[in-house]
Amino acid sequence: MTRFIRNPMILKELRQRLRERRAWLLPTLYLLTVSGTVCFAYYATTTMQPANRQHPLQGAEIGIALFLTAVVTQLVLLLLMAPIFSAGSLTIEKEQRTFAALLTSLLSAPQIWWGKFVAAFLYLLLLLFGALPLLAICFAFGGVEVRDLLQVVGSTILVLASISAVGLWCSSVFRRSVHSTAASYTIVLVLSIVTLVVFAVWSDHWQTATARFNQPYPTYIQAPLWLNPFYPFLSFLNGNGAEKLDSPLSSWLLYSAIGCLSAAFAIRNIQRAGEQL
Amino acid sequence: MIEVQQLRKYYRRSRGLDGFSLQVSRGELVGLVGPNGAGKTTLIKILATLIKSDEGSAVVAGHDVFSDPRPVRASVGYLPDVAGIYQDMRIQEYLEFFADAFRLEGAVRSRAIQQALERSGLADRRTDFVEHLSLGWKQRLHLVKCLLHSPAVLLLDEPATGLDPLARIALREQLKHLRDEGLTILIASHILSDLEDICSRIVFIADGKNIREDSDFALPATQQAASVDCEIRYLGPRDTVTGALAGIPGARILEASEGYCRISLPGTAHESSDFLRNLLALGLTITSFDTRGLGLEAKYRRTFERKAP
Repeated sequence: MTRFIRNPMILKELRQRLRERRAWLLPTLYLLTVSGTVCFAYYATTTMQPANRQHPLQGAEIGIALFLTAVVTQLVLLLLMAPIFSAGSLTIEKEQRTFAALLTSLLSAPQIWWGKFVAAFLYLLLLLFGALPLLAICFAFGGVEVRDLLQVVGSTILVLASISAVGLWCSSVFRRSVHSTAASYTIVLVLSIVTLVVFAVWSDHWQTATARFNQPYPTYIQAPLWLNPFYPFLSFLNGNGAEKLDSPLSSWLLYSAIGCLSAAFAIRNIQRAGEQL
Repeated sequence: MIEVQQLRKYYRRSRGLDGFSLQVSRGELVGLVGPNGAGKTTLIKILATLIKSDEGSAVVAGHDVFSDPRPVRASVGYLPDVAGIYQDMRIQEYLEFFADAFRLEGAVRSRAIQQALERSGLADRRTDFVEHLSLGWKQRLHLVKCLLHSPAVLLLDEPATGLDPLARIALREQLKHLRDEGLTILIASHILSDLEDICSRIVFIADGKNIREDSDFALPATQQAASVDCEIRYLGPRDTVTGALAGIPGARILEASEGYCRISLPGTAHESSDFLRNLLALGLTITSFDTRGLGLEAKYRRTFERKAP
């Protein structure tokens, strides 16, 4: 266990990452985008109200709108960034011809994987926690509880860890960063968009066929959605159809499994990577 | 120190090694020569635990390369043919990382890093970024990185590629020094003059097989065995040379052409210099008299010329 905590790979990776220009550029752009989107959401919520609105706008409504906007924007940005950090981790060692030195050292394949994973993941956590003050603004309006915040942050962390593990797996499979990054983005797109489309088609077909418009969806209809990284956020859409979905537990378990499997396959690939060099 | 028996390695469309065997004793510096695709890099990668062979066995420092790779890694310093380097790290950080990767701790770690900095001549530039080093300095850094954990065996794959003459000379001197320290070194290279200068034995490899072996390259002629090969270039009749040779028991002509002959003389360099005096006394004009025998380059040409495309 100590070898995983005092892993020289972590220090090396963090040192290298934080020396890059994007180390400070990305957090800046990220926070500007999230805050810009939240500001726009506030403006839209407070000024662009439908004419047939029956009651005055409540603070809680603003709070929930801002919160949802912030967490969804945040996850979109982080999902776009996760492959950048993880999918190039091992391929860059192959491209720079430094992988042989790692493989012939006393670092084990799990240690190499762990070092790469922690470095990629910690950077994403830096971005995630950097935006927490923005999320905290929502508390001022009400409608959002600390439990909601913890659930969203926890869910985002789990999704990011899994996506980072998937990115590292891609990195262990391919020789070139460009291929590995493209593969990672394809997986992220499939999880985020294709699952949503499949769910929309299936649920529509099911509702039309059974005429059960206000009943919860059966498991097989919901199943594709569990793979969607935004699924846990849907529970905030009270009264907008979220009551027809299961709790996000299945999604969390599925993402945990994806992360663990990706890690296992990536470690196996690292053990065999000498043949690729 | 290195024992390789009947190694076979097949790639999808070619053969890497085809029944290659090799024994290297402790403290030997063995050169591995052969054309591109002969199997040199494959052999070194197998010994460095990077790849596995399909058949055969390989033991390094008493440990099986395939079933027990970790102790092999602890006893081997490996320098690949195209060795990458972390450009965005400082020299000291680079060495610290690999010291940690080889689990060096405390005083041993500090001493190893300090020794590496001094050995490479980079002690004054320890805080410089690696990217600011020239190729020669980077190669020095690579080499000392390989020596950080005090390996018993050094595997070098084309270590002099791309180096300028001075850097090559420095590398050669460094390798000689390591050989004198008792390190076992296996070096694959196309620079035959370097190998001739530093290796105690040369192994010729082609199509994944041992083709030929030659010993005692690095030893001066006076220390060599019972006979000396001489290359003579002269102006005058060949009969003078053959006549002079006739009086020496055991002497023979190995190769002869107009104005040139290569002969084998019994004895040491003293006897060959007596023979030279004799030829001059007979009135032959000698333009060149070389007791180094057939050079590695000539041997290489003879061995591989027929195989060249």
